[in-house]
Amino acid sequence: MSSLHTWMLLIPALPLFAAIVTVALGPKFLKSKSHLPTVVCLAGSFVCSAILLWQVYSNCDDDGVPGGLSSFEEFFDVWTWAAVPDAMTQASPEAGAAQDGSANSSSFDFVINVTLRTDPLSAIMLTMVTFVATLVAMYSIGYMHDEPGYWRFFTYVSLFVFSMTMLVSVSNFALLYVFWEAVGVCSYLLIGFWYKKPEASAAGMKAFLVNRVGDFGFAIGIFLIWTTLGTLNFHDIEVDGVVTQPGVFGDQVIRDGGYQSFPAATTGVLTAICLLLFVGACGKSAQWPLHVWLPDAMEGPTPVSALIHAATMVTAGVYMVARCTPLFVASGTAPVVVACIGAFTAIMAGFIAITQTDLKRILAYSTVSQLGYMFLALGTASLAGVVGGMFHLFTHAFFKACLFLGAGSVMHAMGGVIDIRHFGGLRKLMPVTHITFLLGCLALAGVVPFAGFWSKDLVLSAVYDASHGDPATATTFTVLYWVAWTAALFTAFYTFRAFFRTFYGEEKIPEEAGHHAHESPKTMTIPLMVLGFLALAIGASEHWFVEFLGHTPSLSMERIRPAEEHGFNWTVAITGSVVAVLGIGAAAFMYLRSPGTVSSLTSTMKAAWLYQLSYGKLFFDQLYNIFIVWPLRILAHILYVLDILLVDGLVNLCGWIPRTFGAVLRPMQIGLVQFYALAMVLGLLVLIGILLR
Amino acid sequence: MSTLLLITIFLPAVGAAFLAAMTEAGHKVVRGVALTFSLGTLIAAGYLTWQYTELPMAAAEDASSTATASERENFAGVDYPWFESEDSKVSIHFSLGLDGLGLWMFALSALLVVVCVLVSWEAIRDRAAGFYSLLLLLEMGMLGVFAARDLLLFYVFFEFTLFPLFFLIGVWGSEERRYAAIKFFLFTFAGSVLTLLGLITIAIASSASGELTFSIPQIMANLKAAPMSAELQFWVFLALFAGFAVKVPLFPFHTWLPLAHVQAPTAGSVLLAGVMLKMGTYGFVRFSLPMLPDATVTCMPWILWLSVIGIIYGALVALAQRDIKRLIAYSSVSHLGFCMLGIFALNRLGLEGGVLQMVNHGISTGGLFAIVGMIYERYHTRQIAELGGLAKRTPWLAFFMLVMTFSSIGLPGLNGFAGEFLLLTGMFQRGWYGGASSAEFLTIAVLAVSGVVFGAWYMLSLVRRVFFGPLKEPMLHDGEPEVKDLSVREIASLTPLAVCAVLIGLFPGFFLDQMRGTLNDLSAPAMAKYEAHRDGEAPEVVQAASNMQSQPLIERQ
Repeated sequence: MSSLHTWMLLIPALPLFAAIVTVALGPKFLKSKSHLPTVVCLAGSFVCSAILLWQVYSNCDDDGVPGGLSSFEEFFDVWTWAAVPDAMTQASPEAGAAQDGSANSSSFDFVINVTLRTDPLSAIMLTMVTFVATLVAMYSIGYMHDEPGYWRFFTYVSLFVFSMTMLVSVSNFALLYVFWEAVGVCSYLLIGFWYKKPEASAAGMKAFLVNRVGDFGFAIGIFLIWTTLGTLNFHDIEVDGVVTQPGVFGDQVIRDGGYQSFPAATTGVLTAICLLLFVGACGKSAQWPLHVWLPDAMEGPTPVSALIHAATMVTAGVYMVARCTPLFVASGTAPVVVACIGAFTAIMAGFIAITQTDLKRILAYSTVSQLGYMFLALGTASLAGVVGGMFHLFTHAFFKACLFLGAGSVMHAMGGVIDIRHFGGLRKLMPVTHITFLLGCLALAGVVPFAGFWSKDLVLSAVYDASHGDPATATTFTVLYWVAWTAALFTAFYTFRAFFRTFYGEEKIPEEAGHHAHESPKTMTIPLMVLGFLALAIGASEHWFVEFLGHTPSLSMERIRPAEEHGFNWTVAITGSVVAVLGIGAAAFMYLRSPGTVSSLTSTMKAAWLYQLSYGKLFFDQLYNIFIVWPLRILAHILYVLDILLVDGLVNLCGWIPRTFGAVLRPMQIGLVQFYALAMVLGLLVLIGILLR
Repeated sequence: MSTLLLITIFLPAVGAAFLAAMTEAGHKVVRGVALTFSLGTLIAAGYLTWQYTELPMAAAEDASSTATASERENFAGVDYPWFESEDSKVSIHFSLGLDGLGLWMFALSALLVVVCVLVSWEAIRDRAAGFYSLLLLLEMGMLGVFAARDLLLFYVFFEFTLFPLFFLIGVWGSEERRYAAIKFFLFTFAGSVLTLLGLITIAIASSASGELTFSIPQIMANLKAAPMSAELQFWVFLALFAGFAVKVPLFPFHTWLPLAHVQAPTAGSVLLAGVMLKMGTYGFVRFSLPMLPDATVTCMPWILWLSVIGIIYGALVALAQRDIKRLIAYSSVSHLGFCMLGIFALNRLGLEGGVLQMVNHGISTGGLFAIVGMIYERYHTRQIAELGGLAKRTPWLAFFMLVMTFSSIGLPGLNGFAGEFLLLTGMFQRGWYGGASSAEFLTIAVLAVSGVVFGAWYMLSLVRRVFFGPLKEPMLHDGEPEVKDLSVREIASLTPLAVCAVLIGLFPGFFLDQMRGTLNDLSAPAMAKYEAHRDGEAPEVVQAASNMQSQPLIERQ
């Protein structure tokens, strides 16, 4: 086992090391070679992750427990972050009659250890993150060359990979929150990488603040977990083989299939916890109503959009909800909310993406939409759903990274222009980008046998099952099922709209590109080809993935497993293919065969105000500004004025009283001895008068 | 050790005297002398702190450990009779010693004075000897406050800090320095006169046997045996509150703070924010919690409300500021609200988080004020609108600004997060198990968490406006050299703060462990009272407060 620990440590340690080396040597010594530590360390980290994955996989196989309930996890403490003994005491439920509370109440230590864990879920995330990160780092060598702050870019990327690998490795909610915010900071720094651009720094700040709003809920959710369960650990804490403190997703919870052993954990509280955690997930994974930051985040360098804002960081919310499956399952109503928000976000973002003209923003809305699918799947609160959502996360990472890097390649060649109205017909000019982008598009649209088809199929099969399952929620899921298909139709359409407008039609190159518009260098095209290949082929891993992920402790609860296995869902698969073909066909018809329909359809939609709604992104930014940002700013100024006038005014009034009092009395001190003598005599008379009365 | 403690506290005074005699010397000599003395003090204070952390943790319920326990409660203790009446019925002692509460603030004060000398290096040329002399005197007062073990000695040091700072602001400040200095002095002094009254009342009420003692441990022991009446406690609490709440400053007693900060020289701002404000919170923990438990419990909801109003009010008003220094001053109001919230959550998590946050705020806000000073030295303006894109011109300055901002907005991995997370968890726990007041306290907790969002808002928009975007600098006067990035001296002044921020952020457990014993002892009476006071229903949660012994960390791994 100890070799397992070594790999677990090395995976985050290598990127951290790269960040430190780059920041120390980058500006002075490495200069245009600043990518070296990052690329080497990320590749090393990927190798470690692959070994870890393999080891975890072999451990899972060895278990061989019948019934598919075996699970594997391994964790170890690195150091104790903070520990407050006896921080909380809860009364035992039967302690009501007791006179002395301390005798039959249990005391909880607030112990937060930096604990690294691994299990199938973590191992898969780690492998995916380090793999995409390595490719993106390679790609950035070409994309970012000659940028001022080249070393800064690679430092941030390494720091991000460190934070992200830690995020999926920690075994404690407090530390999950730590790295949750840490990836947010890396995102903030990278979005604002070109800090001289006002839009970029504004977008970075917006991303951070919207995430903070999400974290507001997340933090309260964590507090609630602490007060309810008396622990923040995922795992059980054992002393000499006896569980002293059951963890939130520890063996005991899994065995019980719920939180019966925690007296304070009623269904209502668990639902509250889940919804609060989900607020955090909405922030990080850009779900409605907190999705507004992600499209703006496209101001950052494109490799960053690919790595952070498509493949890895934005999926942290999905990872977190998947990790918290036992909580969500126990709550009952929370998963339905997750599914509804996910489905709504999927269709809403798809609707917006149809009319956008910025290639990267189209992809950004597509990411929002696909993340919605993942949450929809998780919301079914079944093994099939969670695994399907995670598989969609997995395949999406590859094909969306492929698409973003392709968009970056286009942007690189077009001299920074990314508006699809300004270029077109690039397929001859950029053959590699063209083919790999096509592969990505086919995967995203969900065409057989590309990766997206298989994962979307899993997601929708799970929703299909849910709509035929528990009668209480069946109707909801039936609606969501059709919403999801509509969104899928949108997806196929907008993806190929972007594709056709970029690579087909008349060749059009913007002025900014100059005369040297060309295919990108090898360092950029090789990652593209690798990702393109995976967008085609990674779907083949479906069976293995589903099998393996089921060994995650959080997912091995008996109650989320289906009573009976049923085979491949042909209804969903065929519907999926038809929808994809329909969407692509519509795009092809409109943008290849008869461009005239585009303008006529646009004017019809304009008349119905649909176009404006979609193009204006449903005006969420404006709504938030009018109803939240501006009122708060106005309030801030009002309070400031009040602070000066009222609060400080009262203080000054207090200071004014003695002075005024003094001013009234001051004329008496006129310095005339006769006046003083008179006053004395008068005073004496009055005194005597009083005494003699 | 005892001698070393005396040396640490009085070395600055020696330095001050030395400097006072050097009025003829140029500022270059003077600042060297000041740096030497402040560094010497820092080394001594650092050694004391290190020695304290080496002390064994007291083991719970272990009779043989009483010796070590008292060692942790009175480290390097010094005790001389200072004033004794002839029948020795009245005794005032010159009694100093370190414990878990004072320890980190003691060390932080010594560190910040060195930072102050470094940031004043070029800025103070006029009457430099006087300036550094006052700075060192101020240091003596601050160190004394955190080490005093006698009520009157505490008060002497507490008030003593006012004079040097009054002159620092009034002589070396900006345009409105006199008004600011007088307002600062009168406001805080008016409050602390009542505090003196309260402290004397405590001494009298606790020594009923005819002997009047001012020794803090003695008073605590006496009050534990025979507490004051709840009514008397209430009035004494109000008297102490008058001084400490102004010092903190708790809303609505904060209006002296922005003014004083804006007008003060950089060193004055750093020490004011870094140390002086904490004397207020320190006073609450040192006196109100252990000596006035009934009144603490009675007033707790009010103080929690004032704190949370301060958090949000301070944050919103900070958002409306155009002057960088004023913005950070209002952010202090917000941050100190967090400290007070944690302390008056009256449970272990809240208290430990609140006290840790006192140190954290000293580091981050001290650093921020130092950075503003550096901007001002370069551009002679603090107006946000006149600046922009400085990250291009001064990357190091931008780097430190980002670190301090992240520390200030409670970014995980840095110190601010550790304190905020603990104290907010504590406050939420207080709300969740708050009995009849549950809804009220939960509202407070949730509002306080929203303060974290606002905190990020005003700080990040400050960073964005001043450091990002296109470069915008005020017109330089003729002959002025182009603005340069941080010098080695300036980097040296900010680095220790950044290092501390990272250390506390990564290993808050170490810092908390050192405080725990003392904090448990100090808070036990109030926590026990709270549990007893809370409505009639069976206690769902008993904060393990009745346990007067400090406990070691329970290893359960």
